[in-house]
Amino acid sequence: MAAHARRRARRIATFAAAAVVLVALPASAQVDLGTEEQRAAGKVVYDKYCGQCHGDTGDGNGYATPRVKPKPRDFTTGTYKFRTTPNGMLPTDDDLRRVIEIGAPYTSMPGWPNLTSAEIQNVIYYIKSFSPDFENPDRYGEPIEIPRPLESTEESIARGRVVYEEQGCAACHGEVGRGDGPSAPTLVNDKGDPIKVADLTQRWTYRGGPTKEDIYRTFSTGLNGTPMPSYADSLEIEDRQHLVNYVYSLGNSDEPNYGTLITAVYSEEPIDLQDGETLDALFEAAPTTRFPLVGQITEPGRNFFPSVTSIEAQAVYNRDEIAFRVRWHDLRADTSGRNSPSLEVPMWDEDNGIGDDADDDGGDSDDFFGDFGGEEAPAEDDFFGDSGGDDFFGDGGDDFFGAADAGPPGAEFSDAVALQFPASLAPEGTPELKPYFLYGDSQNPVDLWFVNLTYGVADTFRGRGSESIEPTEADIVEAVTSYDQGEWTVTYKRRRSSRAGVSFAEQQYTPLAFSVWDGFNRERGNKRALSSWFYVYTEPSVQPATTFPIVRAAIIVLLLELLVVFLVRRRARQQAAGDEAAGTTLATTEAPAV
Amino acid sequence: MLGLNLPVVIVLAAIGGVLAWRRANTLTWLLYTWVALWAFFKYGFAVPIPQSVATIYLGITGLALVCFASSSRERLSETVQPIVRLILEPRYRLALAGLLVALPALAAYNVYADLNVPLEAPGFGREVHPPPPTEMTVHDETVDMATAENPYLHYKHDDPELYGEHLENGRRVYYENCFWCHGDGMGGDGMFAHGLNPVPSNFNDVGTLPILQSSFVHWRIAKGAPGLPGAGTPWDSMMPAWEKFLTTEEMWDVNLFIYDFNGYEPRALGQH
Ligand code: HEC
Ligand code: HEC
Ligand code: HEC
Repeated sequence: MAAHARRRARRIATFAAAAVVLVALPASAQVDLGTEEQRAAGKVVYDKYCGQCHGDTGDGNGYATPRVKPKPRDFTTGTYKFRTTPNGMLPTDDDLRRVIEIGAPYTSMPGWPNLTSAEIQNVIYYIKSFSPDFENPDRYGEPIEIPRPLESTEESIARGRVVYEEQGCAACHGEVGRGDGPSAPTLVNDKGDPIKVADLTQRWTYRGGPTKEDIYRTFSTGLNGTPMPSYADSLEIEDRQHLVNYVYSLGNSDEPNYGTLITAVYSEEPIDLQDGETLDALFEAAPTTRFPLVGQITEPGRNFFPSVTSIEAQAVYNRDEIAFRVRWHDLRADTSGRNSPSLEVPMWDEDNGIGDDADDDGGDSDDFFGDFGGEEAPAEDDFFGDSGGDDFFGDGGDDFFGAADAGPPGAEFSDAVALQFPASLAPEGTPELKPYFLYGDSQNPVDLWFVNLTYGVADTFRGRGSESIEPTEADIVEAVTSYDQGEWTVTYKRRRSSRAGVSFAEQQYTPLAFSVWDGFNRERGNKRALSSWFYVYTEPSVQPATTFPIVRAAIIVLLLELLVVFLVRRRARQQAAGDEAAGTTLATTEAPAV
Repeated sequence: MLGLNLPVVIVLAAIGGVLAWRRANTLTWLLYTWVALWAFFKYGFAVPIPQSVATIYLGITGLALVCFASSSRERLSETVQPIVRLILEPRYRLALAGLLVALPALAAYNVYADLNVPLEAPGFGREVHPPPPTEMTVHDETVDMATAENPYLHYKHDDPELYGEHLENGRRVYYENCFWCHGDGMGGDGMFAHGLNPVPSNFNDVGTLPILQSSFVHWRIAKGAPGLPGAGTPWDSMMPAWEKFLTTEEMWDVNLFIYDFNGYEPRALGQH
């Protein structure tokens, strides 16, 4: 009896509690800070995997912070970018979980697929404890509803384009979405750090995810703490859906589909760099390969946050000449400064002059410069003496700091690009041997086809390592360049055969590598985006016929089959005849002894 | 495990099971063995083995099967009988005609597929752990590779506090310098790893740090890719020579840290 009553009382209490929760849901039900143990368990995960970037106290000041861009999130401010909740609100646990599981592509925030679901939940509780905002029910908002995407019809995309123009997306993202809008170079986040506008044509670099739902969420809720606004109030739901379709149409893949090889196609036509239309037609027939670029962080002059993350390349050739075309996106054409593969980059510039590394390291750093200064300085002197770059050196010293502070950013260095080839190929049949991918080495030099986009002509350099890069005149390389709506196009041409450098024979795999410098990001010399060694393959000028070998294979197999059938049948006939003659009755199924 | 494509292996084994259950004849078994091996080489591995190697294996297997089939008179007749019946008996006429068409078609398709494989950059072998030099000079100090050991490792037991300081310094060095390539969790999957060939070493892997002596790791850290012998394709690897950037102490500290983070110990001296 008593037990029964107790059970009923409990049930009533549960109902009452549920009712209270239901009423209160919009505001406070979401305040869930976990238990003491959960936060403690979260701290263990955080200290091992997160603190080195986000700071052991959650302030975004970890060891890696001076050398990454964007900076790791400062968890003490309660400002989060990737949310399903309205502008200015806190993210939901699911929002945080999503970022922690898959990361933010093309930033230093990696995904953590190895953490268990419980570990992630615990670390979320711990992260939330860094900011008092999570205790404030007013900072919580209902997640927005994301409707099913509309079909990408031509009308929908056209309407989306109109919305894109009306809402002024182009001011930041550029006319065709390459991240080159007029405001792009000036944007900063709420901490005053420069921020790069998303290149809408490269969906795989979207930090919040590449799907139509992600795009809808991004401009509906905005990215807190960045100039990327929320359009929830200014756009009807349907217009937002059209806008999604337009933004989606700007890129053609969720994946970069990086390749390892360009195929140079043969053409009978002459290659005339001055005749733009014919040139475009020539390249239209050539396949395009996209190659990944990463920051040069192997030699001094390290570039921890290159602006350009990939480059597209094509090649065509005729009897005498070969032409390469490369394309990449850059938020603005920097064509007033200087640049060269060998421009000196002072040590402090590695952190863009913003790292206060020196304070952190204390004694270590001093030792460090003490150790090295003596050894390295003479080498640099020689080097600059050689290349006659006296002006360079003058600038490279103290003036530099001044220049960096004054004047429009980036005006000092120009955009540039280089193709790199081995100066000679390893003889066929010998083990693979290439020059060192970083400007070659003393035994195996490389040739650089360098274009400073201020001048738009190709200069050739011979590299025997980063300390030894000298101009050469051995081969004449021509180039034409153009900048259009956030995209650089550079087309090179050279004779296929060369006595001093590499010759491009038919059906040959020739190693090649790329470098790109973005002047706006103060890239010059070894501070560049670069690639590993890839290859260009010169396709045979006469394509071998394909039908003949196929038909031949079929006919040979058929003939063999017929031969077997014929032999077996003849044998059986002979046997039958023999059996009859002998008058014995052997089973016909007895196998012939072949 | 072993980089096998488990579903494929299971399906192949299942087919074998069915054949055993139905008491398949010798010819079927021989055909099954060869086709199953072919499928195993082609689809059975997460990273397919090179075509040329597979062709050699299959050729050898084919020879072995022929030897097996002809090893005794009974076996030979068991193998050949079904074929002879197919050719001679009128009730199989349709099947024979089908086979006469199907095999040439298969051959033609094979050639067609071969002609249309997308071009790939030539691949080359690379020795991941080539033999180190017997000694090296780092910051004017000679290191004897046979006897050198991480000088701070013994603090783990002798002075845990000091050990902790070296670890923390190693953590700093790692996250100021290494994670772009080797990854935040040291899985060889840093934010630049997709642009590197060879890919950065995965320090979570039991086949990397635990089988190396700390002096070997010190050599790799100090001398980087340029210090590798030719078999390690030094021209391709982006691994920096850290003596250009770090002090000797910092290099030993980060050495300590990458072992500790993954819960591994360096292989002891004298073990090979
Ligand atoms: C190597 C540095 C690094 C490490 C390690 C790291 N993060 Fe991050 N994290 C970042 C950066 C950089 C950002 C900012 C990305 C951006 O602004 O687009 C970020 C952003 C975040 C965000 C905010 C996302 C948003 O919506 O604003 C969360 C949450 C986060 N990290 C959690 C974690 C957790 C949890 C760990 C450990 C398991 C971790 N991070 C480890 C660098 C790191
Ligand atoms: C004031 C400048 C500005 C305007 C106007 C602007 N954006 Fe953005 N947008 C940004 C910046 C800056 C980023 C990058 C934020 C980041 O990476 O943290 C961004 C990022 C994005 C992203 C990618 C987010 C991701 O996941 O990486 C999308 C999609 C986007 N914007 C769409 C739009 C659309 C559509 C409009 C117009 C309706 C628009 N933006 C208007 C500045 C702007
Ligand atoms: C620019 C990319 C890059 C950076 C930065 C980098 N590494 Fe490497 N590292 C590699 C690559 C690629 C390999 C594999 C190829 C090779 O063996 O050279 C490698 C290999 C190694 C190896 C050899 C492992 C083995 O199995 O033999 C060690 C040890 C190592 N790295 C330690 C470090 C340490 C410590 C740091 C930071 C101080 C660091 N690396 C920074 C790219 C990098």
